[in-house]
Order: sequence, then C-alpha cells, then structure tokens
Amino acid sequence: MSAVVENTEKVSIEIDGQTVEVPKGASIIAVADELGIDIPRFCYHSKLSAPANCRMCLVDVEMGGRPVPKPLPACITTVAEGMVVRTASERALKAQQGVMEFLLINHPLDCPICDQGGECELQDLALGYGRSVSRFVERKRVVKDENLGPLIATEMTRCIHCTRCVRFLDEIAGTSELGAMHRGEHTEIGTLVGDGVHSELSGNIIDLCPVGALTSRPYRFTARAWEMTSHAGIAPHDCLGSNIELHQLRGRIKRVVPRDNEAINECWISDRDRFSYEGVVSEDRLLAPLLREGNQWHEVDWQTALEAVANALRDTVDAHGADAVGCLISPSATTEEMALHSLLMRALGSDNIDTRLQRADFRDGTSTEGFPGLETAFSKLDSQDVVLLIGAYPRHEQPLLNHRLRKAALAGGKVLAINPCGFDWNFDLAQQAIAHVGELPAVLAAVARVVAREKGTTEPAALAAWKAPTTVSSETIEKLAVIVAGEGKKTILLGALAEGHPAGAELRYLGALIAELSGAGYGALTPGANSAGAWLAGALPDRRADGSAANGLDAKAMLSDPRKAYVLHGLEPDHDLQDPQLAEQAFAAAEHVIAFSSWDTPALRQQASILLPLAAFGETAGTFVNANGHWQIFGGVGQPLGEARPGWRVLRVLGNILETPGFDYEAPDQIHAEVKAQAGEAAVARPSIENALTPLDASADMQRVGILGLYGVDALSRHAPSLQATDQAQPAEVVLNPADEVVKGLSEGDKVSVTQSAASQTFIVRFDNRVPVGSFWLPGGLENTAGLGPMNGPATLVAAGTSA
Amino acid sequence: MQAVKSFFDTFLLTELLKGMKLTGKHLFEAKYTLEYPEEKAPQSPRFRGLHALRRYPNGEERCIACKLCEAVCPALAITIESEQRDDGTRRTTRYDIDLFKCIYCGFCEESCPVDSIVETRIHEYHFEQRGEQIIRKPELLAMGEKYEAQLAEDRMADAPYR
Amino acid sequence: MSGTAEPIEAGLTEQERAEIDAWLTRFPDSPEGKRSAVIPALHIVQHNSGGWLPRARMDAVAEYLELAPTRVYEVATFYGMFDVEPVGRHKVNICTNISCMLRGSNEIVAYAEKKLGIRLGETTSDGRITLKREEECLAACAGAPMMLVDEVYYTELTPEKIDQILDELE
Repeated sequence: MSAVVENTEKVSIEIDGQTVEVPKGASIIAVADELGIDIPRFCYHSKLSAPANCRMCLVDVEMGGRPVPKPLPACITTVAEGMVVRTASERALKAQQGVMEFLLINHPLDCPICDQGGECELQDLALGYGRSVSRFVERKRVVKDENLGPLIATEMTRCIHCTRCVRFLDEIAGTSELGAMHRGEHTEIGTLVGDGVHSELSGNIIDLCPVGALTSRPYRFTARAWEMTSHAGIAPHDCLGSNIELHQLRGRIKRVVPRDNEAINECWISDRDRFSYEGVVSEDRLLAPLLREGNQWHEVDWQTALEAVANALRDTVDAHGADAVGCLISPSATTEEMALHSLLMRALGSDNIDTRLQRADFRDGTSTEGFPGLETAFSKLDSQDVVLLIGAYPRHEQPLLNHRLRKAALAGGKVLAINPCGFDWNFDLAQQAIAHVGELPAVLAAVARVVAREKGTTEPAALAAWKAPTTVSSETIEKLAVIVAGEGKKTILLGALAEGHPAGAELRYLGALIAELSGAGYGALTPGANSAGAWLAGALPDRRADGSAANGLDAKAMLSDPRKAYVLHGLEPDHDLQDPQLAEQAFAAAEHVIAFSSWDTPALRQQASILLPLAAFGETAGTFVNANGHWQIFGGVGQPLGEARPGWRVLRVLGNILETPGFDYEAPDQIHAEVKAQAGEAAVARPSIENALTPLDASADMQRVGILGLYGVDALSRHAPSLQATDQAQPAEVVLNPADEVVKGLSEGDKVSVTQSAASQTFIVRFDNRVPVGSFWLPGGLENTAGLGPMNGPATLVAAGTSA
Repeated sequence: MQAVKSFFDTFLLTELLKGMKLTGKHLFEAKYTLEYPEEKAPQSPRFRGLHALRRYPNGEERCIACKLCEAVCPALAITIESEQRDDGTRRTTRYDIDLFKCIYCGFCEESCPVDSIVETRIHEYHFEQRGEQIIRKPELLAMGEKYEAQLAEDRMADAPYR
Repeated sequence: MSGTAEPIEAGLTEQERAEIDAWLTRFPDSPEGKRSAVIPALHIVQHNSGGWLPRARMDAVAEYLELAPTRVYEVATFYGMFDVEPVGRHKVNICTNISCMLRGSNEIVAYAEKKLGIRLGETTSDGRITLKREEECLAACAGAPMMLVDEVYYTELTPEKIDQILDELE
C-alpha cells in the first residue's frame, strides 16, 4: 500500500453502506481494497503512481449530501470527511460498462492463443462488465510488435494503454525504457527507437500487464494458466531469498512468478530469479553418475559411484591423513546439504570445508558471534537516511536490494559509494569515491579518521597503519565522511567487490570500525543464497555446526596448498572460484576430485574424476537462510531429471556407506531441525574490530577488478539460455581508463590479451573514465572469462591486434 | 357387469386374439431390424464417434493449442503439449487422446474455437495391442484429412443451430 | 528550414542552448519546469535539423533537460507538428478539419495528391514536398480552405492557387 495510507489523521467515510475511519489522503481504491470491496481496475497498482488513464474504476461519489455530477476514478480520488462512495450503484456500473466497451473496441479476440488467457484481468472483467456482442463493426486497429529482447514477448495489438509497464520502468526500475508514443487511438507503448528493455527487473512488466501484450518469451505458448500447479519456492541467486512461486506442469517448471513478501521482495522479483529455471532443463544437465578411467568417462549406477567416492575418501585418509581431503561448497547450496557435508568431513577427521569461494582474504577468520549478513532489515533499507556502499554494486548483486536503496535515495536518503570503479546506477549517489582497487582500505581509513574527528572521539590508533589515499581527493573523502558521521538512520554495506578484494579483511575491519564510530548498522551483502546457512551448518573451516572452533584450511588455502582429494558441491571450478586458475592447478595435482553437479561441463570433465548428478533448483527440498536471518524452507517441485538426486539424499547414503554415525535422516526437515536446534538464537554479527589488521602491500602494475556477471553468478543462471541471450550476458570486455599507460596506441574495439599466472585470454577493449588508472574492469562467470586467474588481482595486459 | 364381461373374455379367448392381432399386424409391417454390418442405421450429422483433427483448406492445421478441450474433458482423456512453431504461431507438439478414458461426450468439439478437434461418424474400430488406444496427433490429423469432406458437410449442416 | 534531410550533428549548438535557456527562464527551476521546456526545445531543434527530429537530436534535448530520452520521444510523437521520420524540404499541411472540409478541403487534398503523385503522409521522390497526414484545425477558419506550407499560411485555396504555391517551392 502506498505511503500516504500510513497517515495517522483519520477521516470518516461511507463506502457501500459501511461507515469506516480511514487515513486522510488515501485513495478510494486503496481503502476499498483494504475493506475487501472490489473495484475493477487496469491501470492502478498499489506500488505505482496512479495516472487514472484506464477509467475502469469509476465510482459514484457523494459529498456533503450532494452527488458529484460525474462518476470519479477511485484511484486518484482521495477520501474526505463525510464522503459517501457507491462502488456498485447503477450509475457506477453503467460507467464501468461503458469504459469496458471502449476498451474492447480495439482488443483482438485471440484469447485462445494468448498466454494471458485464463489469468487475464481484461478477460475477467469483460465477463463481469462486457457486453456479450460487440456493437463495434469497424476494423480493429493493428499494432506492429517491437522486439523488447530475449525475455519479453510482445503482442502490442492487445495493449489497452494502462501504462503500468511504462510507470514500472520509470518509477521502480529507473530505466524509463518504454513510453506511450503517438496519441489517441494511435497510441503505442514502445521504445520508438527499438532499443529494447534491458532492466534487471524487466520481467515484472509481464506480471503487471493486465492483458497479454507483454508475456514471457521463454514460457511462450508452452502451458496455460489453469493447468499448472503452484508451489512456493525461494529464489537461489542472492542473499535476499526472494519469495517465488514455481508453476509446474507434469513435473516440469514452466515459469516462475513472484510471491508477495513485504519483508523481502515486496511483489517483484529480478529477471535472474524469474528466468533461471530454464537452466533446470538445460541440455547440459548431468543425468547419470560418471566415473573417469584414464581419459574415458563411464556411466555407472549410483551404488557403484558412491562406493567409488567412499573408497576414494577412505584411501586418501588412510594414505595421506584426513587433512588431505578438502571440501568446497557453493554458497547457494541448501543448509541441509551444507550440514551433511560438514558432518561428513568432520567424521572423516578433516575441517577443510568452505563455502566462501569468492573470498580472497581470510585473515579475519570467521565470527564466532553470529553469521554474516545485514543488521538492518531489508524492509527498513527504504527509509535509511544514509547508506554507505563499500565495494558493492547491488544492482547486479542483489537487484531487489538495489531497488530498496533506490527508494531510499528517491525519498531523500543519501546513498554513498566507495568503489574501485564507477557503475551505471539507476539512482543518484549523494557522493561517490572511486579509488584504485589497491587504495580502497586507505580510503576507508581516511573516512574513518574524518568520522572519528566529526564525532569527537579519539582516532583509533590502528588507523595510522594506512597511508592517505592518492587516487581520491581529500575533499571527496571529507564530504562523504561528514555525511556518514551525520545524524539519522545509517547503514554500511559491503558487497562482492569487498568480498573478493585482495585485502578484503581490511575492508571488513575498517567498515565495521566506521559503523562503530558513526553509529551505523553494518551489513555484508553475502554471496550466493545461503552464506548465512553455511555459518549455521558449520560448513566453514573454523566453525563446526555445534559452534565449536576448528582449524581447517579455508577455500584459498585449500587450493594454494593442494590437497590429495577434493569434494566439490554445486560449483563450476572455472567460474565460481575467486581464482579458477589456482583451482585448476590444485585439482590437476589431486588424486581424486569428486564433483556433485547438476550440469555436465567441459571444465568438470577435465578437472574432476567422479561426477555425481545433483538435483537442480526446484527439484530438491531444503532451506536457505537469507542475510537478514530468515529461515526459508522450500519443497521440491518435480522429479529430478535422469538419475539426478537431491544432494541431501546422496550425502545420506554416502554417510551410510562410510559408516558415519547419525546418518539416518529420512527427510530434510530432520536435518533442518538439527541445524536449527544447534543454531539456537544465532543472529547476524559484524566483524570483530578488536584485533587490528596491518595493510597488505598491494602494489602491482595492473590490477583486475571484477565481480561475477549479473547472469553468471551461479551454475543455474549460466545454463539458462534466455538469460544468456541478454545483453548483460554477452562476452566480457576489458574496460580501461583511456588515460592508462597500457592503452597507448590502442583504440576501442581493439583486442588485448589478459594474462594471469598460467592463463591467458583475449578480450575486446572498451574505454571508460570511471575505471581508475592502473586497474581494469573484467567481470567473471561469463563464457570467455572461464579459467582465468583471480577476479580481483594482478594481471598483465598486452595489445593483441585490432579486431578488424 | 364386470364379472359377466370377464367371464365371456375368459371363455372366448379375446385377450389371446388381441395379442395375436398385434403380432399379425407387425408380421406384415416394414421391419425395424437392421442386418448389421450389411445394413447400417442412418447417422445424425452430430454423431459422436472417433476423433479427428481438421486442417484448413490451405493445409494448415487448425489446432492452436489453446487447450480448452483438455480443460473441458470430463474424463481427462486429452493430453496436449505446445510450443511456439518456427513461424511464431502457437502449435501443439503432442495431442493424445486416450480412447479408453474418452466417454464421447463431445465437449472437446463443443469447446474448440477453431473447429479443429471433431468427432467423426466412425464408431467401428478396435485395438490389438496395449497402448494402441492412445491416438496421437499424426493419426488424428490423418483421420481429419481422410474424412474432411464428410466433416465439413456435417459442420455445415449443424451450423444454423450453433 | 535548412532544406536537407541529412541528420545534422548530434549535440546542441551554442545558439540552440541559448534559445532553450531563454525558454527555461519562463518555467520554474525544477525537474518539472525543465520538462515544460521540451516542446519549445524540440521546435528549436527541429527547425535546425531539416524539419524533422533525428534520434540523436532528441537524445541531446533529453540530456540537456535532464530527462529520460523516452519522455522526449513521447512528446515528439504526440504532436503532429513534430516529425520523427525524415521529411521533404517543404511540409505542406492542408487543413481537413470541419470548417475547411465544409469549404471543400477534400477536393483540395485530392488535387494536391494527384498533382504531386503522392498520398497524405508521403514525400515526393525528389524529396521536395511532404504532405502531412490528418492536419487538424490551424485556426484560420475564416479563410477556409487553408493550408500551412512550412511556416506560412495560405487561405481561400483553389486548385489554381495550389498549382501556383506548390510550383514555387524549391
């Protein structure tokens, strides 16, 4: 409901005979919705502005005992003391029927082939308000379709010009890509110039469209609304855990739509959450367990495969000790899978288990207090006065969290960013500091010093360790820090660039210090869907599920100090790790690499020795704990493809084969209950600021900066064809500052080869002033970045000729 | 009086004669019995027999995969899968009717917005193998092609009443 | 009118900026105020762009007025006096609204169409004249039937007058 309705001042109105006290300034339609009185509407949406252009919500209004001469649109008429509203009087009904007749004049009668058929607002209301036979005998208008991209199909002849899509892209997505072109009967919704729609939230206009003008392209013509069953689910791509509905037909997910949850995703979901389901039925799915013999892969049954796994693990432990086994788990695995992996590794005697695949700096270890996440509730982010983003681009990392920040910025809040390069924000940052990646800790230290001064507290002695930054002006730092030190509700958020930063521990330490000094909330925008669950399930080298401390090797140490056997769960080694090159070398030297994977990729075939087919998204039940600490349980929707099986089942059987005590779980809820009992009241905790860190020497000639691409964050989205066809998933390019030394003689579009340790790859060059000299932007998770070295770390650039 | 009449009726076998009269009458009247299969009863244009999928005169299949027949089928005998054909139109990739489930109610025909799924006048068929009772899209289309003339004529005959 | 259909340079010239600035002073200094200046700004830009609005020029207006380009496209397509497709060197607008229609504008349109060999909404093959489609009342009913050629009104039209006016256009 819109903000106006929260007014505490009340007025008394009569609506359909009921006398009610309602907030002053609310619209009649909002009040009626609250009371359960149904007013027909097309253009009105509680989350969007009301333009009153469909005129379907006309109601009869009486003020001061005198009827208003004409019916009024309920969506923009605000309530007033003594107002009498009749939503279904003869005059109101006549007006609504008249509007419906006009709407149907140009609407084609193609419901049987329309994907909206059966869930169409126009169809539903036409049943109630439409005439059985049209009086319009002239020709209907036809509108040419426009290509809006690989996600949204158009059938613009069906459009009734409610402009919900236009307003969504304007007000919520902030991209203003669609408009109402031409006028009157010739009005057409489109871009005019044919650029398409590229917002990361664009899929929501499919849901908003009250007719079948905008429909889902991947879903096109594959099912009808009435034949699918709906299952509650949780989106597996980011730390929000957006609530979704999976629509299933004969065991296959046909589409994903949002499920309202005001605390998390409101009524929206990102395109990544909406279209990634296509990856489930991707041609690359791994359908049976595979064993490698020499260079040959053999399909085997589960029993054989699991015995091979058990033998491999036992042999390794016997020959090299338990410490020679390492386990790397995707941060988007379910809590249950993480818990069982954790138990299994600990039963083998090894603590080498980690889910922080993108982290580069482990000096600060793991908090014993609580899990990483946001202290500020997602729903409170909209009303923050100050939000400081450190190494974060939430528009790609957590699109719906970015929407909250946008709301905060539009409401007058100040969103600040300290980043190693500039990004395409869809709102105005109040202040931005773009520093060379190596200087990020120094910038934070400088900010902390100003905040301490502003707050009148003594400057913490540890800050002296960082020199003053040279790539950001002290004025910028001063301006930014003064805002951070100011009054109001404040939050500091660290994102993926901080997570992957070579001195990430310093950023976390300094971020927590600034939070402490300024009195702001602290938050980590954790990678994957379940980083909090990993902490709770003890899938970390220094924390077991029961909370006891351990001393295993972290994700980086496990690879830089190679183990003899690895267990990989739900990850693609050439994309999901901070340093795929290091991983490739470690896996090549290992005796056994056991990979649980839903997809069969060339990299896995090359690097693994046993492949176990894992049930994918929607095929397995489990729990995700989001960055606010909400435990969200979801069920499996369809049968896993081929021989794939849910991870918890496979691990349970593996535990039995290895004769691990306590592996008798019959349902994921038992594992869930066990983890929950051990977790107790665990909550979000910020990094400790007790032990100061000393700065790393980050001097390198050229530093690569990157995060996983919008549609390359995990295996599921990488295997979803429609997402991969979008502009955001096109091959990565090297983005450089045109003033950089290395670009001398290069021009945009030329090729440059990027070398990181043993790996080398050629990319197209693009110039951007927002990338500091001495660094270049190159994201990960994209097809042409597979197998390179660290996403954030040194690299050598050499010109590799022109593209022409 | 009744008693007297009853006495004479018993005595004179009038009831027997009445019965004989009826029998005799039918003996010489036209017969209702048909010598099936040599002789066949006339069928209504609305006869509901085996199913078929029709095509337009230009050869294009009529079915647009709206799935109304699948939804309306009270016996759940119809299974449809659909997708976008290369030319952008909505088409079925699978159209199965399980004839064991089908109760020949004709709802599918009734619900079809494009007169695609129809019931022909064919009522004489059998299956020899398990699984044969499921007729698939190619068979249904072949039926439609084969009996198109009759089907079109029947739809025309019924058109004034629809 | 500069008399060319070639897209002009993309950005705004100093002159254009000054003219738009003059309009901006008439509106409140707010985002809404800037939005109000879209129509005059588009007139200025169209005048200097061969009588139509190439995309790059509309984008330049959007950038200058700090609006989303789409908002500018909406305005440009809404009003009949803006053209977003290339036009001929001269735009001929024959009024077809009621007063002119009663005074025989239909015959005038038919005559002009026949004379130029094009229909309403089309441009002659030599790029000389565009006949605008569905021209609405131009507020010169006293002289109906009338037409607007580029920025000049011609009233009391007859086929002879049409001949004379159109033949004089370069």
